[in-house]
Amino acid sequence: MLNAKIPAGPLETKWSKYKSTVQLVNPANKRKLEIIVVGTGLAGASAAASLGELGYKVKVFCFQDSARRAHSIAAQGGINAAKNYQNDGDSVYRLFYDTVKGGDYRAREGNVYRLSEVSGSIIDQCVAQGVPFAREYGGLLSNRSFGGTQVQRTFYAAGQTGQQLLLGAYSALERQVALGNVKQYTRHEMLDVVKIDGKAQGIIARNLVSGKIERHFGHAVLICSGGYGNVFFLSTNAMGSNVTAAWKAHKAGAFFGNPCFTQIHPTCIPVSGDHQSKLTLMSESLRNDGRIWVPKKKNDERKAVDIPEEERDYYLERRYPAFGNLVPRDVASRAAKERCDAGYGVGTSKMAVYLDYADAIIRYGKIEAGKRGEENVAEEEIIKMGKAVVAEKYGNLFDMYAKITGENPYEMPMRIYPAVHYTMGGLWVDYELMTTVEGLYALGEANFSDHGANRLGASALMQGLADGYFVIPYTIGNYLAKEIHTKPIPTDHPAFVEAENKVKETLNKLMSIQGKHSVDHFHKALGKIMWDKCGMARNAKGLEEAIKEIQALREEFWKDVRIPGIQEEMNLELEKAGRVADFLELGELMCRDALQRNESCGGHFREEYQDAEGEAQRDDENYAFVAAWEYKGQSNYELHKETLNFEIVKPTQRSYK
Amino acid sequence: MKWSQFFSTSIGKKLLVGATGFFLCTFLIVHLAGNLSLMKQDGGEAFNLYADFMGHNPLIQTLAWGLKVVILIHAFLAIQLTIRNQAARPVKYAVKPGNSTSSWYSRQMAVMGSILFIFLVIHLANFWWAMHYGDIPSSTYNGKQVGDLYTVVWTAFENIGLVVLYIAGMIALSFHLIHGFKSAMQTFGFNHPKYNGMINFVGLWLFGIVIPVLFAVIPVYIYYKQIA
Amino acid sequence: MKLTLKVWRQKNKQDKGQFETYQVSDVSKDMSFLEMFDVLNERLINEGKEPIAFDHDCREGICGMCSMYINGRAHGPWDQTTTCQLHMRAYNDGDTIVVEPWRASAFPVIKDLTVDRNAFDRIIQAGGYISVNTGNAVDANAIPIEKHDADLAFAAAACIGCGACVAACKNSSAMLFTSAKVSQLALLPQGHPERATRAADMVMQMDKEGFGSCTNTGACEAECPKGISISNIARMNRELFSAGFTK
Repeated sequence: MLNAKIPAGPLETKWSKYKSTVQLVNPANKRKLEIIVVGTGLAGASAAASLGELGYKVKVFCFQDSARRAHSIAAQGGINAAKNYQNDGDSVYRLFYDTVKGGDYRAREGNVYRLSEVSGSIIDQCVAQGVPFAREYGGLLSNRSFGGTQVQRTFYAAGQTGQQLLLGAYSALERQVALGNVKQYTRHEMLDVVKIDGKAQGIIARNLVSGKIERHFGHAVLICSGGYGNVFFLSTNAMGSNVTAAWKAHKAGAFFGNPCFTQIHPTCIPVSGDHQSKLTLMSESLRNDGRIWVPKKKNDERKAVDIPEEERDYYLERRYPAFGNLVPRDVASRAAKERCDAGYGVGTSKMAVYLDYADAIIRYGKIEAGKRGEENVAEEEIIKMGKAVVAEKYGNLFDMYAKITGENPYEMPMRIYPAVHYTMGGLWVDYELMTTVEGLYALGEANFSDHGANRLGASALMQGLADGYFVIPYTIGNYLAKEIHTKPIPTDHPAFVEAENKVKETLNKLMSIQGKHSVDHFHKALGKIMWDKCGMARNAKGLEEAIKEIQALREEFWKDVRIPGIQEEMNLELEKAGRVADFLELGELMCRDALQRNESCGGHFREEYQDAEGEAQRDDENYAFVAAWEYKGQSNYELHKETLNFEIVKPTQRSYK
Repeated sequence: MKWSQFFSTSIGKKLLVGATGFFLCTFLIVHLAGNLSLMKQDGGEAFNLYADFMGHNPLIQTLAWGLKVVILIHAFLAIQLTIRNQAARPVKYAVKPGNSTSSWYSRQMAVMGSILFIFLVIHLANFWWAMHYGDIPSSTYNGKQVGDLYTVVWTAFENIGLVVLYIAGMIALSFHLIHGFKSAMQTFGFNHPKYNGMINFVGLWLFGIVIPVLFAVIPVYIYYKQIA
Repeated sequence: MKLTLKVWRQKNKQDKGQFETYQVSDVSKDMSFLEMFDVLNERLINEGKEPIAFDHDCREGICGMCSMYINGRAHGPWDQTTTCQLHMRAYNDGDTIVVEPWRASAFPVIKDLTVDRNAFDRIIQAGGYISVNTGNAVDANAIPIEKHDADLAFAAAACIGCGACVAACKNSSAMLFTSAKVSQLALLPQGHPERATRAADMVMQMDKEGFGSCTNTGACEAECPKGISISNIARMNRELFSAGFTK
């Protein structure tokens, strides 16, 4: 039943053939077609801008006060592209291969190949927009190796690549706003999709300042609302990041793909107490030079610097000699959890490991002394020079760490722990990025498509922009070409009225409960269940318990949540309540998905499926499929399977030893 | 961009404030050079001849009127911008940052400017008005009869009140120029790591210290000479 | 740690607003400033009162949404730090902290500490972009850019659009924000074709929004959480002069 609509033919020509045969919409008709874009991150902003440029009438929505705030802005590391500027053997094929392998063979070959193909154009486009990527002295673009890849294909702008890319897309978007092609609705939250005759034809949104419910028509609706990591309460996502738009789309008929695939990022600043509201990521690039270790003795209370070398366990180097500290994110995260669970954790919470720069400082210091041709340099002098080099490379990250923890990372090792960072799962989409609802699309992190069970570093930015700049402008035409005869539907159409009433009913219900507990109380409780039972390691028993606990919590939420204020004005608690209500449903689906997937792959680690050494065991025979879930009512989901066919890259066991 | 558009922007207006301010700075140098002759022990010959030249040379006279127009433009635009700046924050903060983020005198340009304006009115009434329209004694040098402004000045500075007023005026001038010179340079777009040190130095030492101090020394010197 | 908070409360745009005083106890030094507000809000909700509305999102100092004027300082006492990255270790037991919203006629208060900064979007709409449609670009390495210029452009582009410059300026001037974008695009060859109209249009829009003019006090630079330099303002002035005198 699920048709991914992957074009036939050899992998290398699928996309170019698709592009040259896809239906086009003539310019006069484009002016009559309206498109709604929900979210203004990399995917949303680039899509809205590109579609505006093509001449479509676009309406773009974001819940933040400006389109520029979307959480893509927080991405630090970089963006991959198969440019091979470094002459180190990179190619479209290699990027494709690495992405499929890195995703633990749970992504579609066709999509991933297209992603690699357009990756180069993204860099061209961003540079043309004035994105100030890092450059070499010769004036050409600089690259670095990221996330353990063997080629240097990552473009970056210091530790603020996401910011610079987003501001590029945002400026393109604002240009279209100025030209009148795009209408921008900030501080608006989409609360439902309006479907007429099975097709998505609009949305219901709440103006977050006035509280007014609005109806908006569109010939197509694009969900670009990002990932759902905040289901865990604590994550590296922004406070406002939520699943609501995607979840409403799901409830309107869009299947949800691989909801249990969650990426836990290994290098985050650990939790400091109950007050913690979010977690902060430290760029993965820190693992390039830092060494990760824990004491060899359990509950070692000594200060890190007092623990002698031979009493330190550099567990990644020990377990994975080939890749060492640069193993992929899922592997590094699990290894940290394993050590902490076994009682070797450090810090007050004992839920942290050390990321140590002492060796790197000395190494760089010696290189520096060598460059100056100095011999017999005193150790202090070497350390001083080394610190300067490290500050040059990672200064902003070290400063951030110092601000948050109050510790000086140049003097003592940083404490890190994994945290929820990215969700590979999302709305199921076909090759054209359309969900199972006609006219309803999902782009960027909001869809499930390209990262399989584990996303490689610097690939999220690539996918968001690929979808927005280079995929949707082509694929949407294929649908809209058939819609040119659809006149804009007046928003007093019964379907709009019904959808609005449904939204109002939910809001009224939330406001009328006036129970005893705040929204955060429930969110934290949900987060704890998710982290404990559907986090880095999962097992059938825990997942079954979690499903029950979430159901009970959801019931309690709808009986006992307290939302002060009124509906008809800015009400941040009401906004949060709506989002948590959706998380409470999604959390259950995630557990169900994790429970059905009887294998360990990528970010999904089922304790029952590991080898004697604790490595993940994939089951390609039975689980090489995308789990696409259909919503059939409260706690009632039907699983559809999209079989993954690997024609080019034959699945093998990932080994980093 | 039309001229009218350019000069209606806040930056266009600031360019005019800066340019007029600069013109006034150069005037200060000329004025000071002449005034220093007040301290010469020659019975006022050098100063009175200088004053006469300045008062009767048609070119200088045109410039002098131009100067007054420039002062008015400078003040008018500055007031216009200040009113606009005030309106940009209708509700004020309950807690102010004090001097933690900016120097106090950089925030008090309007106040210093207003003090200077009052000073100028008194200054012009005392000397310029007296010279041109008043009844002042005269002296003759080499057969040429000129107004004896020197004596008028020396007499005026017997009054300690006036001396104090002049010192206050010069203090205002100093702070107005320490910020004003640097600020005008920034407005003109001169901000470069290689030259910023020089600009700051000139602004602080020449316009902020040397010129106001020398101006202030004159009344003090005259006052002490006379009571001595 | 026990603290006294005086927080600006204002129901909506029309309301006059006033300060409310709150005592907060059990504040840990490891909390961020906003987490301290979370704790207070949780208490207010439990007491049946309305929590304090404030803007925040990423809480890692990059989205630019958080915006509190704390004891007379935009984003509080730490240099180059957003409100969300400010930690309670900056305070001592018994301190009184006064928290106000950004104050500017161009940033009207929406509720409590939340202000409307769409004026910034409109300044960008006036010209804060390079007019290049998707797909038009030449190869990224076709135009080499001197590293020094690229670095300066990056330093200007680091602006997060939080509005602290406006909040800190005694004139509520948006010169630092506007100049950061003008500068970034003026420094890069890609931005040159439109540099004159860009500077003119963005400055005119900035004035139109009701921001004050610049008196070069440098408070914006001192308070900017990203350390944007006022040399960008000088560059914008030059850009505008070249537009005004030659175009």
